[in-house]
Amino acid sequence: MWKYIKPYIPFALLAALGIIGEVTMDLIQPTIMSRIVDDGVLGVHSGGTGNLHTVWTMGLLMILLVALGGLSGTLNNASVHYFGQNLGNDMRKDCFRRIMSFSFPQMDRFGTGSLVTRVTNDITQVQNFVANFVRGLLRTTCLTFGSIFFLFRLNHTFGLIILGAFPFVVGVMALCIWKAGPLFPKLQAQLDEINAILQEDISGLRIIKACVQEIGEKIRFGKANDAQIKTQLRTLVIFAFMNPAANILMYLAILTILWTGSRQVFAGSATPGVVMAAITYATQVLDGVLRLLMVFQTITRGLASWHRVKEILDSEPELKDGAGTEEPLARGLVEFRDVSFSFPGTDQPVLEHIDLTIHAGETVAIMGATGSGKTALVSLIPRFYDVTEGAVLVDGVDVRQYRQKDLRDRISIVLQKAELFSVSIRENIAWGKPGARPEEISIAARIAQAEDFILSTEQGYDTMVAQRGMSLSGGQKQRLSVARAVVRDAEILIFDDSTSALDLRTEAALNAALKQARPGCTKVIVAQRIASVRQADRIVVLEHGRIAAAGSHEALLDTCPIYRDIYDSQMGKEAQKVG
Amino acid sequence: MAEKNISQSIPGQAGRGLRFAEVQHAENAGKTLRRIATYFAKEKAMVLGMLTVVILGTLCGICAPALQSRAIDIIAGQRQGRLLTALGAMLLVYLCYTVAQLLQGLLSSHLSQRIVKKFREELFGKIMDLPVRYLDTHSHGDVMSRMTNDVENISTTVSQSLPSLFSGVLTVTGTVVIMVWYCWQLALLSCVTVILTVAATKILSARVRRFSRKRQALLGQLNGAVEEMISGYRTVVAYNYQQTTTEGFCDTSDELTRAGIRTDVSSGIMGPIMNCISNISFVIIAAFGGFFALRGMISVGVISAFIVYAKQFSRPINEIAQVYGQLQTAVAGAERVFIVLDEESEDSSGMALEDGQAATVIFDHVNFSYNQDQQVLRDFTLTVPCGKKVALVGATGSGKTTVVNLLMRFYDVDSGNISIGGQDISTVGRASLRKNVAIVLQDTVLFSDTIRNNIKYGNVDASDAQLQAAADMSRCSEMIRILPGGWDTKLSASGENISQGQRQLLAIARAFVMDPRILILDEATSNVDTRTEKAIQDAMHDIMKDRTSIVIAHRLSTIEDADLIVVMDHGTIVEQGNHTELLKKQGKYYDLYMTQFAGIAT
Repeated sequence: MWKYIKPYIPFALLAALGIIGEVTMDLIQPTIMSRIVDDGVLGVHSGGTGNLHTVWTMGLLMILLVALGGLSGTLNNASVHYFGQNLGNDMRKDCFRRIMSFSFPQMDRFGTGSLVTRVTNDITQVQNFVANFVRGLLRTTCLTFGSIFFLFRLNHTFGLIILGAFPFVVGVMALCIWKAGPLFPKLQAQLDEINAILQEDISGLRIIKACVQEIGEKIRFGKANDAQIKTQLRTLVIFAFMNPAANILMYLAILTILWTGSRQVFAGSATPGVVMAAITYATQVLDGVLRLLMVFQTITRGLASWHRVKEILDSEPELKDGAGTEEPLARGLVEFRDVSFSFPGTDQPVLEHIDLTIHAGETVAIMGATGSGKTALVSLIPRFYDVTEGAVLVDGVDVRQYRQKDLRDRISIVLQKAELFSVSIRENIAWGKPGARPEEISIAARIAQAEDFILSTEQGYDTMVAQRGMSLSGGQKQRLSVARAVVRDAEILIFDDSTSALDLRTEAALNAALKQARPGCTKVIVAQRIASVRQADRIVVLEHGRIAAAGSHEALLDTCPIYRDIYDSQMGKEAQKVG
Repeated sequence: MAEKNISQSIPGQAGRGLRFAEVQHAENAGKTLRRIATYFAKEKAMVLGMLTVVILGTLCGICAPALQSRAIDIIAGQRQGRLLTALGAMLLVYLCYTVAQLLQGLLSSHLSQRIVKKFREELFGKIMDLPVRYLDTHSHGDVMSRMTNDVENISTTVSQSLPSLFSGVLTVTGTVVIMVWYCWQLALLSCVTVILTVAATKILSARVRRFSRKRQALLGQLNGAVEEMISGYRTVVAYNYQQTTTEGFCDTSDELTRAGIRTDVSSGIMGPIMNCISNISFVIIAAFGGFFALRGMISVGVISAFIVYAKQFSRPINEIAQVYGQLQTAVAGAERVFIVLDEESEDSSGMALEDGQAATVIFDHVNFSYNQDQQVLRDFTLTVPCGKKVALVGATGSGKTTVVNLLMRFYDVDSGNISIGGQDISTVGRASLRKNVAIVLQDTVLFSDTIRNNIKYGNVDASDAQLQAAADMSRCSEMIRILPGGWDTKLSASGENISQGQRQLLAIARAFVMDPRILILDEATSNVDTRTEKAIQDAMHDIMKDRTSIVIAHRLSTIEDADLIVVMDHGTIVEQGNHTELLKKQGKYYDLYMTQFAGIAT
């Protein structure tokens, strides 16, 4: 936290200065008022005749002081907001930067929804907390203790009375905060849950309806909703008690002041003006305490949020950049050396002892059963994950020695799930190569067999893609993400089962166009269909995380029973005749 | 030119959040307010209780200074009377005030939470009942924000704004009456405060509103960007876009901060200004009060009371101004919620689908379009005999998925009709229809629950044996066995150690557990390898004997053994027959089929 406060210390000081000015003015006021009442109106010191002159001069002085106080207040207000907002901004930017350096397991651990609320809501809470701390807490503490101090100067007995009440008030507050404190994180988690259900159900409405589970979902939501409302109600009830309890304590103190005050006035040791001033101070103390309660509420909330933000800031990037290397000579060589891999947090091996060399310019297809580790295998090349054992080398250099950016600049990968962004089609494709010329984009779209459908839309390349590509069909999304990968001048091109929604003719056309346009490029293709991989230089068959066989289509047909089996499952009996 | 374009528009940071800024005023506030009132009407006892308590509290708040002034007068010797009685009365009033405050707090929290609960339940229930078309055509983020932002606004208004508005108005009225009763001249002077307050509020609030609109827009933009970049993080990383994305984010964030400081500073000035104004009124009261007291027109106690009243007076006026703004926002929010609530629900009426009938599906001259200018199905006529497997083949956009949408009654036909076992499905209740039809979609939807609960989702009463059988058939029992938690493994939204293909297998198991009469697989095995697929098909063979299945796939191997293959193009059927017949025909299907062998070289 200190790191974020430090640059704005001058503003914090300015804010404090403003507060001191403001509070001092507030504190002097009742004293002046008591003089106006005693000397100006009642004439206590001049034998019972008032003095209007005193009233006016003192009154003017007071307005002057008030204006000064107002100015200080404004100064404080401006610097507090400058301070709070900038601090929040720095924190938000740091959080986002940190998130952008996360590894995928880190991302999954937090969850998308939680990260979004942390960067947005929680930071706002922290910001409010800081602003409240500087303005609210400082101001009210100054005002409260200042009032007590002035009260003491005015009359010791009155001071003692208020001071006596104080521990009780603080006790009540502490009790409430102690009770409510643990509820805030719970509340946040329950709110997250409600939002998660909502999000899940909105995107899965078709399946809910297909399974006729609308009522079940309503019950599930109802449960989460009830739980959240219950917790919310508990906090509200706790705080509903806090205010009146603190109030009544302070009222009792005021009554005591009036009672003892009357004794002292009769005894001649105090004036009515003093009693009035004492009550004003006491009311200020009361006011201060009430505000303190509110400040404490935001602080408890703010602290809970700060912990959530801190979790992000404290997460060290799991993938450390390598030292970087000289530009290696070979272009497009990928080697797996005795690679074993299991996803972080599990000990269930996904890949075991993989040895594989993919030569520059070669086209290698990866096939295998669902869950055999195909996606995991290609994810290791751009270092989305680190190997558990062994090493992955690109152009003869261990991927862990590269700077991540340099490594990924050599690679263009099309993911299994096509993720598009809500900008125009042109800009989505240009993601692959920032600053790509329109011709390059159009060439890439043509290779990806996407140009026809792009041009058939009214605005062509300028058509906006709706959030997460909702406006496009699965095949269209896949073709756009292929175009995005192709526009990039990468030496290694990876397709992770990314043309599954295309019909065979389109896929074949895509492959042919790609081969023609980028002959020197190393291509790693994960696929299910024999037709997609048949022409590959080499086909690698994965089985339970191991390489079962590797070779050309013809060779595998002869030697690999698994491949033969896959082939039969797709080609049927006619295959023998036609093929 | 392209480069400039790209650097300026980081995805997700354009075109969002406008709705935050535009609609802070309700279109039809009166109607919305009346409708909100009906929610309160159902909580009559609580609302009445709260109003009573607020009135009680406010009266006490107004009385207290008067009693205090009496006590001071007695102390100053300007008034006869026993101090103890005065103090006793004060104690009583304070106690009442405290109790009223406590009750108000309790009642308003219960009331607000009840209303929030109700709003949330109704809204969620509505979302569940909406036709699929609504969510297909509306932004999901927008629907989400009705639940999160708008309902939240209504809740704050109910719990805080309304009581303070009510007590504010009451306090102002009561205070004015008492002030006039004490000394109308001083009361008139105190009104200076009111004029100053109103003027200051008016000038400032226009400014604040302008800034805060901009801030809301930027906030929406920022939230959108964060969400998009985090959910598309894999792509961001794969394309080294972390830096660019961060820069875009920082720019928006900086801009938001500037707008935020402007809004906060201008709205924060209100505090000191109000402080100033209330102190000016203090001086005015002291000076003129002193003047009047010297003339013997009023007592010192009255001055003391006036000081308190003047304070009591300016605070609610300030509050009312603020609350009014909140109220407007809340009403606008409520209106947006009501718009969703007023959407027409899916019609759930209709007969039950008759049991025992053969599940023959007939499409009879069906025409359909999602929107008027684009016909998706044209005069589509097809008979799927009971117990047979029919495959739909065709290019993207040829209308295959639409057939599923219509059969499930996610959408209804424009003309023509669809029947199952001779029963027109437009007369069949949707629930009954869907219980008999199971679908598996390409974009697998699994819920963040255990594997067990996900698989029995369509048939909650399924026994463990049924679940196991379904898992065996869909070839996912091995995978479930290996998972650390087995059947009780909780799936997460991202699900890192379950692959896309495995998710599809689970979805297929879910469909099997439903024990449907009609099974629809829409690209359901696109990420599953062909051998596993083959095994699933073999397993299905027996149980689907007297049931109907419709399969949509690009992979021809998936559908090769179908009893009937239907080749679609632009919403019409161009060819149909079984695999061998179609190959012989050497038409479209033959062309498609041959590409399997032509492979990459084509």
